[in-house]
Amino acid sequence: MSGQAVLVLRLAAPLQSWGGPSRYNRRDTQPQPTKSGILGLLAAAEGRPREASLTDLLGLRLGVRVDQPGTLLRDYHTVSDHRGLALPAAKVDAKGAQKKTGPAKYTGVTQRYYLQDAVFTAAVAGPAALLQHLEHAVRHPAFPLSLGRRSCPPTGPVSLGLHPDTDLPKVLEDVPWQASAPHRARFRGAQVTVEATVEDPAGDLTATDVPDTYDLKTGTLFSQRTVRHLWISLPTGQQTTGQAADIPAGRTDLGHDPFALLGW
Amino acid sequence: MPYLSKIALNPRRRAAVSLLANPHRLHAAVLGGLATQPVTERVLWRLESNTPHRAEILVLTENRPSWQHLVEQAGWPDADGGQPLIADYAPLLQRLAVGREFAFRLTANPVQTVQRPVKPSEEQLQRMKNADTLEKRRGFRVAHRTAAQQLTWLLTRTERHGFTIPATDTGTTIDLDASTAAEAPAGPAPAVSLIARDTLRFRKGKDGPRVTLSTATFQGRLRVTDPVALQATLLGGIGPAKGYGQGMLTLAPLLQEAPHG
Repeated sequence: MSGQAVLVLRLAAPLQSWGGPSRYNRRDTQPQPTKSGILGLLAAAEGRPREASLTDLLGLRLGVRVDQPGTLLRDYHTVSDHRGLALPAAKVDAKGAQKKTGPAKYTGVTQRYYLQDAVFTAAVAGPAALLQHLEHAVRHPAFPLSLGRRSCPPTGPVSLGLHPDTDLPKVLEDVPWQASAPHRARFRGAQVTVEATVEDPAGDLTATDVPDTYDLKTGTLFSQRTVRHLWISLPTGQQTTGQAADIPAGRTDLGHDPFALLGW
Repeated sequence: MPYLSKIALNPRRRAAVSLLANPHRLHAAVLGGLATQPVTERVLWRLESNTPHRAEILVLTENRPSWQHLVEQAGWPDADGGQPLIADYAPLLQRLAVGREFAFRLTANPVQTVQRPVKPSEEQLQRMKNADTLEKRRGFRVAHRTAAQQLTWLLTRTERHGFTIPATDTGTTIDLDASTAAEAPAGPAPAVSLIARDTLRFRKGKDGPRVTLSTATFQGRLRVTDPVALQATLLGGIGPAKGYGQGMLTLAPLLQEAPHG
């Protein structure tokens, strides 16, 4: 085994939320997993405390494939005091107790966004020794793993194994389509084309999701990385041979075409 | 010789919006595509909603039509994909044979005729008073409003139109309301589902009378039992409101079901 390897993760859950740099009362989700979210998952699996250094993980290159895009869920969330008192402010008085908000604010409104029923294949490339250690950690996590938020535990095993001696786009093309059965049923035909982004110094897009630390006292500052966007064709495992009598070759649409019977 | 046409309308154009908003105007525009005026033949048409960003009209005419006026005013003149398709319908009519199965789609206006409406309008009350006896009076045409009624409406008249709807292979239920699904008999459901339901409300002309239509779009699989009757149905339509884009039955090849699980 040479020095490099790729660790493949399957990120599937009823809910995922990849926040990125969103803060205060509106917590967005990115349409794809962020580097911050995935490094956080790996660090949690290893059992690193929040203050621990991330410098060895920051060099890992990330590729994400969207096997099933999922849909957006907005959680409209209100917070209030059941006694009818005004909410406390961030400021404290001389005794260290929180002051009341002035003008009095009785209800706090937050909006939290989630991805529902999404499935992603994430590939992390880097030094083989480090990834071997991380692969073991993901299978034996020290802290519970979650997909972006603590309320989003993953469905099924996260690790799809370690691929030594390959590069990122190759792995994303080789790993089978991970979509769920209901999502597969919507597709006909032998091939499906999915989106992917790969971290690449020569890429033309930037993503602002590289964390400096997960320390709650200082907060996280995000820096940029360059990514490249690509499309990947994957086999669906379905046969396209239909009823040979009436179906013209190459017809895979779901719509109703009355002209198909008229010798068109 | 019958012809099937498909005309794409550009919903970003004012003329297209005006036509799509009112089946009365769209019917006039469709009849304007025939050279023998006044039109005496049966013309069937239907608004298709397969594709976003364009509205497609399927038209079945006895004589060869011309859709240049629609394309120029409400379509994409000179654009790739903007030209209407016109195909001879005869090959399909000759292909019908007993036992053959096709995929079908039908947008219809399911109605029933009742002697005593539950909630009669003032007009209906007046007519009920004016008639001397029940025998002399014509019944009132009332739309079927629930999905279960609309589906039953279709299933009870397939035989006379020359086809049957076989049972589904998978045995999954059709999308009825939850309350009626319990009443439906157990076993494999007929291979038809309601893919769209709508209520069309428009006026005939600027100050003309109001029209309200309850429509349902059925899609599924049918098996030919009487080719002659089915030919007549394909050319003549099913149910009322044919002038307003209802009742046109179209057939398409059966596509293989996607494997589940």
